[in-house]
Amino acid sequence: MKQKIEELNKEFDENVAKVDSAEGLENLRLEYMGKKGKVALLMQDFKNVKDEAKKEIGMLVNALKNKIETKISEFKEKITDKLNEKEEFNAKPIDFSLPVSDGVGSLHPRTIILKEVEDVFVSMGFNVEDGYEIETEYNNFDAVNVPANHPARDMQDTFWLDNGELLKTHTSAAQNRILRKYGPHCKVIFPGRCFRNESLDAGHENTFFQMEGIVVSENVSVSNLIYFMKEMLKGVFKKDIEVRLRPGFFPFTEPSFELDASCAFCGGKGCPSCGGSGWIELCPCGMIHPNVLRNAGIDPEKYTGFAFGLGADRLVMLKTGLNDIRHLNSGNVKLLKQFKTKI
Amino acid sequence: MKISLNWINEFVDLKGITIDEINKKINQMCCEIEEITEVGKETSGVVFGQILEVKNHPDSNHLHILKVDVGTEVLQIVCGAPNVRVGMVTMVATVGGKVNGQKIKEAKLAGVESYGMCCSESELGIGSDDEGIADIDFKVTLGQDIKEVLPIDDVILEIDNKTLTNRPDLWGHYGMAREFSAIFDRPLKPLPVLELAKFKGLKKVKIDVKTDKCFRYSAMSVANITKKRLPMPLRIRLNYTGMRDINLLADITNLVMLELGQPMHAFDNNLVKDIVVREAVKGDKLLTLEGETHEVNPGSILICDGKDEPVAIAGIKGGLKSGITDETNSVLFESATFDSGAIRKTSRSIGLITDASLRYEKSLDPELASIAMARILKVLTTIDKNVVITSSYSDVYKKKYEKVNLTIDSEFVSKRIGIKVTNEEIAKILTKLGFSCKILKNQVQIAVPTFRATKDISIKEDIVEEVARMLNFGLLQPKPLEFSVLPVEKNREHTLEYEAKLMLAEKYGANEVHSYIWNYDNFNKEHKIETKPVLHLLDSKNAGQSSIRSEMVPTLLKFVSENKEQLDGEVRIFEIGRCVPSLDENKLAIEEKHLAIAFASQTKTQEELFFCVKKFLVDFASNKLLLNLEFTKEGNVPNYIHKVNSCSVKNGDVILGYFGLVNPATTKCIDKKLNICVCEIDFTKLCEKEGYKQKVKVPSAFQSVKFDLNFLVDKNKTYGEVREALNKVRSKILVGINFVEVFEGEVLGGKKSMLFNFEINGKDHTLSSEEIDNFRNDVIAQMAKNGYALR
Repeated sequence: MKQKIEELNKEFDENVAKVDSAEGLENLRLEYMGKKGKVALLMQDFKNVKDEAKKEIGMLVNALKNKIETKISEFKEKITDKLNEKEEFNAKPIDFSLPVSDGVGSLHPRTIILKEVEDVFVSMGFNVEDGYEIETEYNNFDAVNVPANHPARDMQDTFWLDNGELLKTHTSAAQNRILRKYGPHCKVIFPGRCFRNESLDAGHENTFFQMEGIVVSENVSVSNLIYFMKEMLKGVFKKDIEVRLRPGFFPFTEPSFELDASCAFCGGKGCPSCGGSGWIELCPCGMIHPNVLRNAGIDPEKYTGFAFGLGADRLVMLKTGLNDIRHLNSGNVKLLKQFKTKI
Repeated sequence: MKISLNWINEFVDLKGITIDEINKKINQMCCEIEEITEVGKETSGVVFGQILEVKNHPDSNHLHILKVDVGTEVLQIVCGAPNVRVGMVTMVATVGGKVNGQKIKEAKLAGVESYGMCCSESELGIGSDDEGIADIDFKVTLGQDIKEVLPIDDVILEIDNKTLTNRPDLWGHYGMAREFSAIFDRPLKPLPVLELAKFKGLKKVKIDVKTDKCFRYSAMSVANITKKRLPMPLRIRLNYTGMRDINLLADITNLVMLELGQPMHAFDNNLVKDIVVREAVKGDKLLTLEGETHEVNPGSILICDGKDEPVAIAGIKGGLKSGITDETNSVLFESATFDSGAIRKTSRSIGLITDASLRYEKSLDPELASIAMARILKVLTTIDKNVVITSSYSDVYKKKYEKVNLTIDSEFVSKRIGIKVTNEEIAKILTKLGFSCKILKNQVQIAVPTFRATKDISIKEDIVEEVARMLNFGLLQPKPLEFSVLPVEKNREHTLEYEAKLMLAEKYGANEVHSYIWNYDNFNKEHKIETKPVLHLLDSKNAGQSSIRSEMVPTLLKFVSENKEQLDGEVRIFEIGRCVPSLDENKLAIEEKHLAIAFASQTKTQEELFFCVKKFLVDFASNKLLLNLEFTKEGNVPNYIHKVNSCSVKNGDVILGYFGLVNPATTKCIDKKLNICVCEIDFTKLCEKEGYKQKVKVPSAFQSVKFDLNFLVDKNKTYGEVREALNKVRSKILVGINFVEVFEGEVLGGKKSMLFNFEINGKDHTLSSEEIDNFRNDVIAQMAKNGYALR
């Protein structure tokens, strides 16, 4: 019996070394471990073993069984690995250089830029408001202190409508409504589409976007305005840009300023984009005129504030390098789609 | 406007101030300098010379050979000018010198040697005369460089007019000199004038002002004018500051205008003796100095002679007939002030913008009229000693501006500028700018000078500006804002607008466009699109674009049509914009914010496009708004939308808009091969209400059972109807019913089948086969009741 076990042991070792497929291995398993396999046959002889040897033989048989099982499962893993390796190696190669489409359309460049700028303001604690495009003469002119005989009210400059209203000529048309809504403590920006009855050329559109902001509180001063404008532009341009303030004139602010930024195209040396001056007029601003505050029910003796406008379209042109403003309203998808969703 | 620094220097000593400093400070403290030009720099080696001999050139019929004495030697110069004569003193550019950048070399002209060039004023850039060489009529030393005698070297500042809109006082050199004096802290010299009171005893000019639009009209007559031209230094000045020199009298009025900002006019006194200022009536017209006839609108101001004949369009242009000529030797000078709005209106309506009208539009100070008169007489009598003044200063002064007096304290100013300023500093700054200040009881009492009081300065905040700019706010210390820190509420609709756009771009591959707010009448007509605009522009520069859009899809269809070829028949565009579909009871616009989408394709089917649009609507509503939109056949669609394949979009009871195919008529006008699906909904209404998120359900740990049922339904039944019947199935074990597919085939006869997948779960136990069968049978029975048999 002992000898038989040893022979079987040896024979298995030889056979298992020859196996090279999952099928062969399964056959081998059945040959030894099947119901009528060699180990089972061996067990039939076990009955005849003398009682005193039973313990020793039993242990040997068990050891053999264990060994066969272990070996088979070991081999099984090896064979699977080999097969997987083979499958991987023989796989049909994919041309990884083939192009893919991201399927992404595009946002209008104004949407992209305005969102970027809005995010800067929101991070500075500003509220964002929408205005109307059709406005009353009062909101567009009277409320923001534009005198009755001001040239801007002429038909040549303003799109008047047959019901007496007009297409708003500037985002300031929303100031009165916003000041009334928020009261004397506010930080609000209001982007919007504006209209002027102008002839079109590369630098002029009759339909364009502006972004306006106001800050009102007690003790708001020109020094605050300067600080704010510099920080804000840093946020918008994501770098320190050189700015200069000049006296300006707008009916809705007093004092008024023009803020120029050093020209992004030539870096301040002077080029056609900046008319040779090295500066780009970017941002009219000033302390809100007391009449504007008064018209909105805010006491100008107690509260002061500043307002600023950003030519959104000009910013778009600066940032995209487009040199003709007319592209923006053209609906030319082949051009617009290149902007995707980021600039 | 051009400013000559030589001219400024006459009133304020600029010695030692660099151009750089001027550029910086004037820009920061006063107005924008667009360009600085150093004139005369490109001219050198030009001297005075006298022609000693004139000989005709043997080989040319217009050239002459001159012998010119330039002090140190006599040069042979070949010259083509027609006005050469022996004894004439002229300007000679010598060899090695430069004339406006052009280098002078020895040359052979038609075979004859020439050692220099005799120059015209125009060649030197100092005069408008280009018909002959300069004819010097004043005493000079031969051989002397012209730059030693004449102000050839100058610096010209080109000021951006826009930045002077509110400063009528800066439209002349003297006003600008006042700014220089304040900015650089140097004294301003008084303006030399003739004392007008001296002529009180002379006869008056008869002036009848019949309109309130003329604030002041003053006139004075002068006779025995013997000189014909302005002295050369003054002519150079005119030319450098953008004017041409014409003749003494025209030039002198221009000179005073450029100096003081007050336009003046000179009438030939033989033709115009009395003055009537009146408003034009219909048919009034005038042949102006330019030789053009202008008919002015009634209400425009006209200057007329004693016979009520128009002789000038007030504040804009003089008439040809009464104008001065080279023969005029007695004139009537006008110095007047008109209503700025009236001048602007007339100037725009006749399309004539002049140096005078530009200045009048800025609201000139009427006080300036008498100063200008006193000045022009001073200049004229200095130039021409023979002049006789023949009238007293005749003045009709109808509208005097009220004096502006302000009281301000340092605290008011400091609070607004953001740095501490004392009353003394305020007074000092203002005094330099021509204000009168008195410090009384801790306050500054300010009398605003008339030249700043016509519209520029009227309130205390205006004073803040004066102080701030003179402190050079470019140098003010920036100060952070003091503000309470509170969370900021997001503008929901505004945020959603961006999210909708981003979703359409990123997930649906669509391109955002911006279009105009008006309809394109021609496009709409050609494409059988009817719109119902309720608002119209009164004046549009573009014909057929004057009605305000009541809906946005037509413009998107125009863009589809324009883009289809470029984009190979695949256009997906959208816009969120405004339109006005109706007016309220006061006829005010009810403006709506709409989302419009147009998906067009040559390759995708109508159904694919249709469901792509629907998918977006459902996607956006359920994921960004947490809303379940409904789609129904109620509500109307525009005429260009498919009557059958379109539907309304509803939230609760509110119809938000529609989506669907463009009807065949309009589609075929755009492109026969194209399928187009569009959508237009009221974005504000869509975003108005936010839905709620359904509670999260934890999936049962027990195994679910899933099975399919396929129902036979009539062809005209919709999914919605079948689903409604299914929704009536109620059971504790039901987890969900999912639609799988619809099948239409000949095998089904006139019917179609709809396949649904059911999921049931016992929640706290594994379902028995009996439970499963019972549920299944219940569903079948329920559906049978509604007429839907199993297939």
